[in-house]
Amino acid sequence: MRGATSAKWVAGAVIVAMAATACSTSKDEAGGKGGNITVVLGEPQHGLVGQNTAESEGAEVLHALFTGLVDYDNKTNEPKLAAAESINTTDSKTWTIKVKDGLTFHNGEKVDAQSFVRAWNWGANQDNAAEGMPFFSKIEGSEELAPGKDKKPTSKELKGLKVVDERTFTVTLKEPFSQFKTMLGYNAFYPLPKAFETDGAKKFGENPIGNGPFQMDGAWDHNKQIKVKRYDKYPAEGRAKLAGVTFKIYDNLDTAYNDLRSDNIQIVDKLPISAMATVSQEFGDRYIYKPESAVGYIGLPLEQNPEAFGKVEIRQALSMAIDRDAITKTIFNGTRKPADDFISPIIPGYRKGALGEVGTYNPTKAKELFDKAGGVPGNKMELGYNADGGHKEWIEAVANQLKANLGIEVTAKPFAKFGELLDDLGASKYKGAFRMAWSMDYPAAENYLRPVFSKVAIENGSNYGHYKNEEFEKTMAEADKATDPAEGLKLYQKADDIVIKDLPYIPIFTYMSSSAYSKSVKNVEVDAQGRMDLANVELN
Amino acid sequence: MGRYLIRRLIQAIPVLIGATFLIYWLSFKLPGDPIQALAGEKKADPLVAAMLREKYHLNDSFLSQYWNYISNLFQGNFGETLTGRSVWDKITEAFPYTMNLAIVAFLIEAVVGVLAGIMAALRRGKFLDQLVLLSTLLVISIPVFVSGFILQLTLGVQLKNSWGIDFFPVSFNENDGIRAYLLPALVLASTSLAYVARLTRTSLMETMRADYVRTATAKGLPRRRVVGRHALRNALIPIVTFLGADLGSLMGGAVITEKIFNIHGIGGLLAESVYRKEGTVIVGVVSLLIIVYLVANLIVDLLYAVLDPRIRYA
Repeated sequence: MRGATSAKWVAGAVIVAMAATACSTSKDEAGGKGGNITVVLGEPQHGLVGQNTAESEGAEVLHALFTGLVDYDNKTNEPKLAAAESINTTDSKTWTIKVKDGLTFHNGEKVDAQSFVRAWNWGANQDNAAEGMPFFSKIEGSEELAPGKDKKPTSKELKGLKVVDERTFTVTLKEPFSQFKTMLGYNAFYPLPKAFETDGAKKFGENPIGNGPFQMDGAWDHNKQIKVKRYDKYPAEGRAKLAGVTFKIYDNLDTAYNDLRSDNIQIVDKLPISAMATVSQEFGDRYIYKPESAVGYIGLPLEQNPEAFGKVEIRQALSMAIDRDAITKTIFNGTRKPADDFISPIIPGYRKGALGEVGTYNPTKAKELFDKAGGVPGNKMELGYNADGGHKEWIEAVANQLKANLGIEVTAKPFAKFGELLDDLGASKYKGAFRMAWSMDYPAAENYLRPVFSKVAIENGSNYGHYKNEEFEKTMAEADKATDPAEGLKLYQKADDIVIKDLPYIPIFTYMSSSAYSKSVKNVEVDAQGRMDLANVELN
Repeated sequence: MGRYLIRRLIQAIPVLIGATFLIYWLSFKLPGDPIQALAGEKKADPLVAAMLREKYHLNDSFLSQYWNYISNLFQGNFGETLTGRSVWDKITEAFPYTMNLAIVAFLIEAVVGVLAGIMAALRRGKFLDQLVLLSTLLVISIPVFVSGFILQLTLGVQLKNSWGIDFFPVSFNENDGIRAYLLPALVLASTSLAYVARLTRTSLMETMRADYVRTATAKGLPRRRVVGRHALRNALIPIVTFLGADLGSLMGGAVITEKIFNIHGIGGLLAESVYRKEGTVIVGVVSLLIIVYLVANLIVDLLYAVLDPRIRYA
């Protein structure tokens, strides 16, 4: 029988196919028992190397695996010494760094001056195309390692780094930079062991050997989990209390939140919007709600479209015509707070109400100012946003407010991705206002000003409107030279005042971070960068 | 039969090559800059971006990039993502989950769908028929993300929190074995299941009216044999066609279900790669899905011969 033979053949093929893909099982104990917990994570973008990580998920794991020279206080965000015993300078240009005694990598190797020099030299070399490369451009000799496109590095070592003795090295910067110590907590400055050189970045990134409170427990299981366990030789102060942590990889926060609710995982440090209405009721004091580092703006193309946005009065009028309270309350359910400074409220140097009058909703004054300055050409403007990030609602709200309060035609214009908006803006194809946000790399007031408003940031930062002000540049340079931190901060605030006066971007809100944890853990804290302080977490 | 099979397999080769070319071209034409996409909303550092573009030949012309890709492919090298991971690794990590999920969903859909359809067709107009019609209408009209979230919340979270029954995992965990796939497969299968049930019902009712069925009944054959051997075999042809095509969409189109239950499968990988404009991954995944479609179609065609003795392949 012909039919029956074919049927057997087909059935056979299906069975083979099923067997070939049969689910494999691996060992994994349930979280929450025996000092192990499970926490949420998104799949990190790159291999786990500090110098090549510029996104939050990789940074989260690296924070558990590595300890930088400085760390930040969870509450004040002031830098405090971590792997460094001392960091000294007399002129903010040459810095002497001494590494603590007795620190080891997870493979037993000593953490010494060379560990840092090795890591920074690797990160600064353009051949490695590391995401953190720009951070080394302040160090003397960086141009030899990163001479630019189509050129070859002429050296493998930064001239500005000198090992003095086993635990001491000096860093010479091109220009004085008073915030250098604060910057050192960023993950691009983490140390690397000798094994990094033998393994190569790719292999190392799958199973990194760090110097932090946790060490890898098996290699990174892509798209599933990253398991870490306590490193027992870590200095007593700061040693992890848990035996191990599993970072379970989710690509959907709603699912992670549902897993948290049934205690399948113990900490979720980014809550989905859908949870916001009920989370405080459900989790009570196990719900952490605090300001985080990002600031959201409406950007204005000063150079690309001076006819519309060249006059400061117009920019001030736009700012005063926006009801920040209404937007943060009705659209974001309080997950954002109205911005009143260019600097985030969690950063040392933030001043409450620094924006003053221009940051206060005043439609009558706005209309007056707007009309006196002559309005915008054609009485219309555009507001660009990227459609992939949940910005539609608030941008449309801003558009409606501007329409109602200034009597102009405002269109909200979607772009598929933020990159496209940037491209069109760069090519002067788009000349309207646009949404943007800035989140710090390290908690310094300087980091909210230079990467967004300086001249160099036109080329390699977020100064998309091409704002230029010599006085601002001068004040920033002076602040960089300061040797007294307090004096430096004052000067940065002075630079902040210049930006507030010119208002190249309109700050709208600062972001709030929301996290929650289950009944089985305690001492959960999330730092300003949104990273869990896992070393302190304990089981109940 | 053997020659037919070989001919079909050879025909598949130009289809595959043509498809890789087309998909590669489409992903090349996707708007946006993949290097900027890596940097998120911060502007990618110009020098880092330039070095990466050079490393991954992003400045080359389309044809030279495609040639580069296809010649590597013939050496068994699927290429690298822009973050330095092997595309082959990424696909083989994701594929087993999707395959398992699709098979479980497919079984649910085929078995439950066909059985419900048969029962409805044989009891036309009765309570059972009405029930099948109504419930399938309900299932068809509920979007997957709604049914997915509701089932996850009720069977996953609330059943455990209120009743202490920890049977359906909230999110996917390999160690739960087949249990981990039940809920997502049910959600994934639900819409197709409804279609299969309705299709079976209509198709079977139609064949039941055919002359040869009346002849079989007149011959005095028992009803079970009339339905099972004569009517159903013919009625199954459109259903098998539907199921064959559906296997492909179960695999490639499970994005939402995979996302709800945190299954890191092919659908999510494809969606992410399109978003990130990772051409090499898109082409790899799509080629794989094309192979699945081709094989499923081939099996369907072979099944026709089993079901309908009039169909012969040579």
